[in-house]
Amino acid sequence: MIPLKYNVRNLRVRWVTTLMTVIGTGLVVWASVLSFGLTDGLEHALRITGHDLDLIVLRKGSTDETSSGIEQKTASEIAALDGIARDANGQPLCSVEFVTNLTKPRRGDGGTTNLIIRGLEPVGRSLRPDFKIVQGRDVRPGLNEVITSERMAQRFQNLAIGEKLEINQVNFEVVGYFESAGSAAESEVWSDTRDLTNARRTPGAVSSVNLRARDADARDALIKRITDDKQFQLSVIRETAYFEEQMSASLAIKVIGYVIAAFLTFGAMFAAANTMYAAVASRSREIGTLRALGFPQSSILMSFLLESVLLCLMGGLLGCLATLPFNGLSTGTANWATFSEVTFSFRFGPNVLAQGVLMALIMGMLGGIFPAVRAVRLNIIKALREQ
Amino acid sequence: MGDAVRSGEKVVSVQNVFKEFRRDQNSIPVLRGINVELDACEYLALMGPSGSGKTTLLNLIAGLDRPTSGNVIVCGQNLGQTSEGDLARWRSRHIGFIFQLYNLIPVLTAYENVELPLTLTPLNRRERDEHVKAALQVVGLADRMDHYPRQLSGGQEQRVSIARAIATDPTLIVADEPTGDLDAKSASEILDLMQRLNTEFEKTIVMVTHDPAAAARARRTLHLEKGVLVNDVSSAR
Repeated sequence: MIPLKYNVRNLRVRWVTTLMTVIGTGLVVWASVLSFGLTDGLEHALRITGHDLDLIVLRKGSTDETSSGIEQKTASEIAALDGIARDANGQPLCSVEFVTNLTKPRRGDGGTTNLIIRGLEPVGRSLRPDFKIVQGRDVRPGLNEVITSERMAQRFQNLAIGEKLEINQVNFEVVGYFESAGSAAESEVWSDTRDLTNARRTPGAVSSVNLRARDADARDALIKRITDDKQFQLSVIRETAYFEEQMSASLAIKVIGYVIAAFLTFGAMFAAANTMYAAVASRSREIGTLRALGFPQSSILMSFLLESVLLCLMGGLLGCLATLPFNGLSTGTANWATFSEVTFSFRFGPNVLAQGVLMALIMGMLGGIFPAVRAVRLNIIKALREQ
Repeated sequence: MGDAVRSGEKVVSVQNVFKEFRRDQNSIPVLRGINVELDACEYLALMGPSGSGKTTLLNLIAGLDRPTSGNVIVCGQNLGQTSEGDLARWRSRHIGFIFQLYNLIPVLTAYENVELPLTLTPLNRRERDEHVKAALQVVGLADRMDHYPRQLSGGQEQRVSIARAIATDPTLIVADEPTGDLDAKSASEILDLMQRLNTEFEKTIVMVTHDPAAAARARRTLHLEKGVLVNDVSSAR
């Protein structure tokens, strides 16, 4: 093997071209990892929302909560079914909820988008992952109050603590921010069910029943019981499946992200190849010397391939590092299942960063292979005569 | 590492060698029926005008090229019938190269340049270190081992190149115009050093040169003209 320091020092000696290639590769990896982080953040938001034992009961034919309607009497009967898990106080983990969509203005760009307002009882908080109030306080029933997440407050007008959100000409005061492990719940505004249905002039309306089964057997039994009951006319969806279906937005971003990443990688590959062709051309005599000394063709191939990979890996690592300031940064996109906005944070976990490094590796390998083959094919005697 | 050879053993046997180069559709003969034998510990100078075929003959003996016909047997190996990979391995074991333009790797220090061919041997790091230091000691550059080629004079660079050529203790040293790029003083020092390698360390050397003064240091001189051997002179030195 030709010592690695030969490649490292050559990259250092040609620092201008090295730097240019590293920056080019770094930009490509940066842009791609940003898009991967975006998709990962969105998928995480939707995936973490789903609990394996949780069920969502909707009106038969409805695919989401905003278009569903259940009679209050039926909702009460469901809450009384056997097999529902109970909290420490023996209360069933079953939340009767009302969900509505309102078009509200975003901050900054002045555009409007749909906002999900959910009315729920305190037990509903236990069904969301790691729910906690992080600023202000929770709503008090009868006072027309709402809570939301801090990132929703940043994205929508009138959602900061102390501001008033108008719902059907009734002002709801924002009294607190909550967090729920970055789940889809953080894309919503929550109020008391009665206050919300009154403001919407649909008192007693129920959109869905969210519940947690005691165990997997109880979950399957509950699904069968509710689905088979002709009087209920309801459908039951496992929460994990419900949010899985809502990932269509993420899929579109993912496909676009990967297509763009592939094109960018292709471009960066040419940049790497160009740099390596120049390296081979300027080092022909060195290559001839190494061959004369007895280094086999495989060593020359590996050496130049390694140099190309090293070059792109530097860019890749730089690109990955440059995405870290965006980690946790909030953004939002349309959820095409509910026609509302889902907010989420960029996530640059090990998997996303590994994809960036892998991209750099591919760029280095593909960009380096042809110049390396050219180096191997150089005629020793001609190469030794090069100046 | 090179296999030890005793004085008088046959190291090189060039038998009725023809070499042609092709340019477009034309065939250009460079060597025409060359026969040369070289014993161990000989010091041979190849002389002749430009285009006479002396460097081509040197390249054939060094295993960098193959004859169009005839046999080139060096250190017991018929080079015309050896694969590319085996030739590379063979060169690393048997041949030490000295080039006109030194051909040191600019990003490696003198020490690392000398160590380079040793990385192809089974020697461990400590053994390599001993070989490198011994070789640099022989050429008188032990105190410059950490210098890069650009920090050395032409003569010093060529001495590092010689240290690299002898570090693996090869059977045969081939030198292509080793003094062609040096001033008279440095050239004389290099020729002294090569002579010492031959007399003191009993190295077999084949050197291509234009310079009669350089050729005079060799024990034997072959003259080529238009690809034909025209004179074979042994000195009484």
